[in-house]
Amino acid sequence: MDYDWELLGFGPDGWGPVLLRAAGVTVAVSVTAFLLGVVLGTLCAWAKIGGNRPVRAAAEAYTVILRGIPDLLVIYLFYFGGRQVVAWAGGMLGLQGPFDISGFAAGAIAIGLISGAGQAEVFRGAYHAIPVGSLEAARVVGMRRFLMFRRIIAPQALSTAIPGLGNQWQSVIKESALVSVTGLVETMRQVTVAAGSTEMPFFFFAAGAVIYLIITSISGLVFKGAELWSQRGQAPARL
Amino acid sequence: MSGLGVNGMGEPAIALRGIRKRFGDQEVLRGIDLAAHDGDVIALIGASGSGKSTLLRCIPMLEVPQAGEIFAAGERIALRDGQQKLDRAQQAAVQRMRTRLGFVFQSFNLWPHRTVLQNLIEAPVHVQGRPKAECIAEAEALLEKVGLAEKRDAWPAHLSGGQQQRVAIARALALKPRALLFDEPTSALDPELVGEVLKVIRGLAEEGRTMIIVTHEMGFAREVCNKAVFLHQGRIEEEGPPEQVFLDPRSDRARAFVSSHFNRNR
Amino acid sequence: MDFAFLSETFFKLLAGFPLTVNLAVLSLAGGGVLALLLNMARASGWLGARFADFYVFLFRGSPLLIQIFLIYYGLGNFPAVRESFLWPFLREPYWCALLALILNDAAYTAEILRGGFRAVPRGAVEAAEACGMSRLTRLRRITLPVAIRQALPAYSNEVISMFKSTALASTVTLMEVTGIARAEVSATYRAIEIFLCAAVLYLVSTLLITRALRLLETRLSPWLAGNRA
Ligand SMILES: Nc1ncnc2c1ncn2[C@@H]1O[C@H](COP(=O)(O)OP(=O)(O)O)[C@@H](O)[C@H]1O
Ligand SMILES: [Mg+2]
Repeated sequence: MDYDWELLGFGPDGWGPVLLRAAGVTVAVSVTAFLLGVVLGTLCAWAKIGGNRPVRAAAEAYTVILRGIPDLLVIYLFYFGGRQVVAWAGGMLGLQGPFDISGFAAGAIAIGLISGAGQAEVFRGAYHAIPVGSLEAARVVGMRRFLMFRRIIAPQALSTAIPGLGNQWQSVIKESALVSVTGLVETMRQVTVAAGSTEMPFFFFAAGAVIYLIITSISGLVFKGAELWSQRGQAPARL
Repeated sequence: MSGLGVNGMGEPAIALRGIRKRFGDQEVLRGIDLAAHDGDVIALIGASGSGKSTLLRCIPMLEVPQAGEIFAAGERIALRDGQQKLDRAQQAAVQRMRTRLGFVFQSFNLWPHRTVLQNLIEAPVHVQGRPKAECIAEAEALLEKVGLAEKRDAWPAHLSGGQQQRVAIARALALKPRALLFDEPTSALDPELVGEVLKVIRGLAEEGRTMIIVTHEMGFAREVCNKAVFLHQGRIEEEGPPEQVFLDPRSDRARAFVSSHFNRNR
Repeated sequence: MDFAFLSETFFKLLAGFPLTVNLAVLSLAGGGVLALLLNMARASGWLGARFADFYVFLFRGSPLLIQIFLIYYGLGNFPAVRESFLWPFLREPYWCALLALILNDAAYTAEILRGGFRAVPRGAVEAAEACGMSRLTRLRRITLPVAIRQALPAYSNEVISMFKSTALASTVTLMEVTGIARAEVSATYRAIEIFLCAAVLYLVSTLLITRALRLLETRLSPWLAGNRA
């Protein structure tokens, strides 16, 4: 089959500019969701490690629930459920429809929640990997809880957490494709549109897959670099 | 001299001739000749890195030497000049030979997914193809002998190092081997656990088992062996009865090695 | 709360459950076989290893959704596919979704299995060699059993992940649990109740699967049971 590669270019018939923009949206949703996940994951790990009983139970419930439900369903819940809530609230206030909510926001929140559950486990594992001796050493020199967290725990835990966080980030990128169901024009949505209007689905879905592969590969390199950097001065990385 | 291990009376349990082994361009064994007759207990001593483990591992061909001839438990493997890999017939001979030798590793190497008893009957049942009931009965007797009868159904991970090594010895015995090979059987153990393992090995020596033992326990080696071999940089520097090698070695290096080790152990 | 509506919805969703289970079981079975083949290819030499690497790179580096669409919408682009004996299958959304799930699962499972093989202690294999086990006996009695036990915790996660991934089959019109939920929402606009109902169904299933796999783990590796948190 002959392909007109100019379809991917930046000429008059080219889909280049919109695809590039869509790739940007993919990265933007992913970054937003991932950062939300970092915050939720840290809080949740903290709750699991140091919280009292009810706090621990709540954190446990959060991770179990979000890891037990399909990602697509979580996004549906936030998007369509959110719309339902907004419409209901609007109706109460006597406003006229139609009501809508942002696919970006619903998607980023949904994926952020999912990722938070995963990241909590990464952070918790990293905390438990810290040698007990190094915490004791901090205690005997009189460090208080917060100082110890900032100077001893966080740096060590982050370093061990990097590979796990890298995996979480890769998942977020792939999950972001599901946000296309809200109509948000990110990569997945854009290639679906292009596939439909050119009637060349294989070509455009393959192009979309390549865009994701590029994003995941580059991020993989970045996380690998961060891992090496975080281990500077320690034993060389063992594979 | 004709081939090793002429059939008939006096055939050695193990005989090595001209064994050479290289790792890359490092020559680890530079032509070793060694024979163990039935009932011999040979202590193989030497500094770390002198090639003791490599030599011992060459016998069941866990390492394939570049040259030499190995005769063990009735099987002969003669490496031809420049031979890179074993041919089919040689491989078959190696398999047969291995089922008639017992090897005890420094780090025990028990199979983690099998209980103690299952470790003992694994090879007799699945390699030698013997009836399971018979193997279990023998395995129980062996566990009794190494003092671990009550650990029959325990997992290796739940045993101390000394217990694991005793299981490993019982596992080697379960093959009914013609000879036993020990590679530093107590080096991975905490000092207080060394004794229980040495006691088991001493018992085997008293039964008249054929053994080659690599060890740094000089006092023990001197007591149990009837022949000691001192290895230095891939060559046999001194060999003879224990009184000679341990008390009055001819070579200066053997003298220095033995005296330093005796001092260390006392 | 409208309990009548909830229970009615619940039974409607339950009708899609067999298809969800069907997709999960078959994709795990197919993916497992393919993963073993990928590991054998990896062991076969340089070319096989590069192929396995590339396969894993492709299927783990891009979203499952795009893989499903590529197969369902994309393959029909090729006259060769449309004329082949496979077309009656590849025309069906069910087979396309299943194929995508299998190919995707194989990439993840292959990596898990590889980790399991790498974690087999060298000494355990050597001890097997030393008592005369042949290559095949070694694989069957020592290497594979240890590798599978090592890989089981990671594989449990993969099983859960695959079970959830079957929801994506709804994007190519399959009426499994999520597909039915989506259709009901279009009909009634009661998104929250319906999707929550579906969520509960998935959650209960994944919890039961997790529990069952835990039991299997402790049964297969009882010596680890004491060490597990
Ligand atoms: N598999 C191997 N690859 C490369 N070098 C090895 C290998 N095994 C042993 N050697 C080298 O061979 C030498 C002898 O080792 P070894 O037989 O283990 O000595 P010993 O047991 O007497 O301490 C050492 O220098 C060691 O580094
Ligand atoms: Mg050694």
